[in-house]
Amino acid sequence: MAGKIVADTLEHSTAGSIATNYVVDGTAKAWLNLNGTGTIATRDSFNVSGVTDNGTGNYTTSFTTSFNNANYSHTHTNITSSGQFGLTTNTNFSQATGSIQQRNGYWSGVSSDNGSSGDVTYFYIQEFGDLA
Amino acid sequence: MQTPSFKGTHLFDRLCWGKENLEGVQSDYRVVYEDSVDECAKILVPDPNWMACALQGGILPPVWVYHELAKDEAQPDFKKHTRGYLLHQTEPVPAMTEEEAIEYLIMKDCPQSVWTNWDSGNKPKMVICKKQQLPQTREWRNSWRISDELAA
Repeated sequence: MAGKIVADTLEHSTAGSIATNYVVDGTAKAWLNLNGTGTIATRDSFNVSGVTDNGTGNYTTSFTTSFNNANYSHTHTNITSSGQFGLTTNTNFSQATGSIQQRNGYWSGVSSDNGSSGDVTYFYIQEFGDLA
Repeated sequence: MQTPSFKGTHLFDRLCWGKENLEGVQSDYRVVYEDSVDECAKILVPDPNWMACALQGGILPPVWVYHELAKDEAQPDFKKHTRGYLLHQTEPVPAMTEEEAIEYLIMKDCPQSVWTNWDSGNKPKMVICKKQQLPQTREWRNSWRISDELAA
């Protein structure tokens, strides 16, 4: 590719240096901002081929570049139409190198997950890990 | 815009080029399918950035590459992928029409048991439709099924 720089280390004049593998390994490999209401739609994303609406508050995100193994790390959060902040619970959770399925549970920040799941206006995911 | 020659370029780098240079394409197509009698119908929604790459051509790998990786992952002793190079070194597919891209996506993201014999039962297991044909509210979402009226 044009403009390619090959380097193992980045060095600042005073602040020290960092190995470029920290940059590569520490970069999010996939992310998604989804509207999970109505006929669900992706607002923006990276490295996502499609999202499957499995039912109420239950989505599967599929990746274009698969992960190397199923031990990648993910952060999923959501906001409901009433502005309620949620953490995605792992009920009905499944994870493969090419996709991840999650169900949204509500979490108010004061009380714990009330066990219900629901559609959310904003569903966010960020995935970190090694790519295949 | 012409796609650069990406032969041997890591797929992630190809997607970075697509993200930087292509406008997302919001497809109106939706794929409704049923893969279990105990579950409601599922709806596959194409990603706009992925669709832009599919229409552009020269970025995405052939769909058979994903099937090969899925076979590897299905092995009981699977720990990590050793054939990830297939994603990066296989010649990318040329530009697709939106309809061809949907067919590709079905074969990538729907269970194989659905798309290999989607029309073999009493009613279709899978339907490609426009999003306007779906219910506009999510009332009783967990009870949605493909209509029996679609049976030939």
